[in-house]
Amino acid sequence: MYAIFKREFLSYFRSPVGYVAIAIFSFLSGFIFFSQFSGGSVNIASEVISLTSFFVVIVPIITMGLLAEDKKRGTDILYYTTPVSLFNVVVGKVLAAFALFAVMFINVIIHIIVTLSCGGKFGVGAVGTIIVFFFMAFMFITIGLFASAITDNQIVSAIVSFIIILITQLITVISDYVGTAVTSVATVLHVKSATATAIGNAIRKGIAWLDPFVKTQDFRLGIFSVSSLVFLISVGFLFMYLTFRVLEKKRWSQS
Amino acid sequence: MIEINNLVKRYGDKKAVNGISFTVNDDEVLGFLGPNGAGKSTTMNIITGYLSSTSGTVKVNGHDILEEPELAKKEIGYLPENPPLYTDMTVNEYLDFICDLKGVDKHKRRKQLEKIISMVKISEVTDRLIGNLSKGYKQRVGIAQALVGNPSILILDEPTVGLDPSQIIEIRKLIKSLSKSHSIIISSHILSEIQEIADRVVIINNGKIAAVDTLTDLSKRLSGQSKLLMSFRGPVKECSTKIRTLPGITSAVPRIVDSKYSQLELGIAGENSNEIRESIFFMMANSGWPILELRSLDPSLEEVFLNITSGKKRA
Repeated sequence: MYAIFKREFLSYFRSPVGYVAIAIFSFLSGFIFFSQFSGGSVNIASEVISLTSFFVVIVPIITMGLLAEDKKRGTDILYYTTPVSLFNVVVGKVLAAFALFAVMFINVIIHIIVTLSCGGKFGVGAVGTIIVFFFMAFMFITIGLFASAITDNQIVSAIVSFIIILITQLITVISDYVGTAVTSVATVLHVKSATATAIGNAIRKGIAWLDPFVKTQDFRLGIFSVSSLVFLISVGFLFMYLTFRVLEKKRWSQS
Repeated sequence: MIEINNLVKRYGDKKAVNGISFTVNDDEVLGFLGPNGAGKSTTMNIITGYLSSTSGTVKVNGHDILEEPELAKKEIGYLPENPPLYTDMTVNEYLDFICDLKGVDKHKRRKQLEKIISMVKISEVTDRLIGNLSKGYKQRVGIAQALVGNPSILILDEPTVGLDPSQIIEIRKLIKSLSKSHSIIISSHILSEIQEIADRVVIINNGKIAAVDTLTDLSKRLSGQSKLLMSFRGPVKECSTKIRTLPGITSAVPRIVDSKYSQLELGIAGENSNEIRESIFFMMANSGWPILELRSLDPSLEEVFLNITSGKKRA
């Protein structure tokens, strides 16, 4: 596992990928911090939350090559023919991408130090958003890794993870549309209007329940809910497992 | 030692490998021959655990590749058709990574790598990026990668493909020197290459074993059908009818027909081809048809198959 982690993490800095990701992140966080700072009031929590919404761009860049490039180069054969287990490969790759996030986060730490040294505040809400930042990073990395496992083309992988992450950001909006649509379909089918609305609402709530951003929005108020963290981790583990299955399946492929 | 028992790999309707069984003994070089698409790479991928067989078993030093994969994989060093190289790493970094993957002890690592690097002769490029190396060096790094972890069995899938002649000779030498302490399976579609290195050959075609033989037996089987190619100046038709009357000549097939330059492919029977060559010379000289070239044709792999399969039918 350590072998994979080390190679994958260092490879970010052997190619432009790591530098590009860090540059984008530094620019975004720097820009947000600067606009707050020049206004005279810095809120670390809102900076971190804004950064979380940029995962849709940063995560695909970081994860697109994780497995797709191995397949293209033919180096994935090493994972199957050496004693290392496929599970360790998956974990090592996730950790490598996660470590890059930790490196990028140094930006925010600098901002915190600047804020504190200028007499600003770093409250429990900001701690909450940082916790959410890392849990969400983990979840989205596993989604990106899965997207990288299903293709040997980095561009395709990046697009797939971009779309999936975009959908998670729009889930609440999507749930509204779907809920309304279901209600009107039910009305057309001569269901009583009260029942139709109820069905629509239930479906809307069911879909909206999946929204990771809504789930974790209370953290900035200092209200830490363990269940939403468990949700993020569970989704992460699910995608790690799916990635593992995709890799495993290749061995049994019939085509 | 590798025991392969009734291996089948099915891709949809097509059976890429269809019931292959053979064993590789300790410290033996086994040549694995077959035309492109015969199932060589598939078989090797199954032996190394990259692919799973549809049915059948592979045992590596007694460990089943599916039931005890980690123990079995420790015994195998594999050089696939395309060496699994990270072009963005230097040779040293790459071999270090392979050591990590194969779990080579940190203390023994330095010594083992030094030995491997001097054996495959890549010491002058260890600090260079793999992406910048020539194909010959890349192939050597691939072999070095297979040697990491001291496996007792080496599986080399067409190790000389795409190399220039001097590189091919060097890789062959290297494989020969490795054969003293390793069992080796080496695949190729070139007969002469295998002839030089292997103790025994397995020939497969269409996913099935066409022959398992030692090389001496194989060449005995082939000796019955050597061929000569003769270029000369003269009329082809007359020459071919005349030459067929000579003792020892079984066939004469025109290849090139031209007023100035003709070629005949001659089938010869019997052990002593020199006598036949002499009689050809005198016959041609008497007729006033100058011979421009006379050389023996090595049997192609296809002809070997034909010979082996037709021989079986007769028996």
